[in-house]
Amino acid sequence: MGRSVKKGPYIDEKLLRKIQKMEVTGEKKIIKTWARNSVIIPEMIGLTFAVHNGRKHIPVYITENMIGHKLGEFSHTRLFRGHSSPTDKATTLT
Amino acid sequence: MVRLVGVDLPANKNVQVALTYIFGIGSSLSQEIIAKTSIDPHQKVKDLTEADIVAIREALKGYLVEGDLRRETTISVKRLMETGTYRGSRHRKGLPARGQRTRTNARTKRGKRRTVGLGKGKVEEKKE
Repeated sequence: MGRSVKKGPYIDEKLLRKIQKMEVTGEKKIIKTWARNSVIIPEMIGLTFAVHNGRKHIPVYITENMIGHKLGEFSHTRLFRGHSSPTDKATTLT
Repeated sequence: MVRLVGVDLPANKNVQVALTYIFGIGSSLSQEIIAKTSIDPHQKVKDLTEADIVAIREALKGYLVEGDLRRETTISVKRLMETGTYRGSRHRKGLPARGQRTRTNARTKRGKRRTVGLGKGKVEEKKE
């Protein structure tokens, strides 16, 4: 079920404060953040976030298409290195 | 034969059911559309008058249906893939995008069973 419209999109408060500050000063610095669950709002366009993926911060440059998604969607948490090589058991089956 | 937005409606079905043969119209939308016209939903398609068909065609406007709907979905999937979302990567890999399990099942998305590995996998891994 979706979030109630009444509340508006969820953005981490500290993150929001940082964005508003950047808007006022007009400077563009990479914001390091752990708030993967924050929704991307129009004010964030053009900014770059370093979104934590559990191990390190992945730089995410925000474009118009990303609005409404959450920051975490762009910072992948899993690394797939392919399946393991087959065991003897599996080979003998054929 | 009745033709609406490029689809032939089955002649021997009730109007309400026949409309669901259009991509993008399920039973609830079908009911909604018929309610806009003054057609009996249980009437067969073959018994529809010319005026009825025009009325349905008119009521269908404003709904995203068939080709337009298909185009819209591919565009939104493409957007997901281009922006580098997790869901986009799942689409690219042909795996379910909404957190379903893939250890078993997920056959609709992954297609027919095919065995992976068995010797071949080892060679491929070494190349990387």
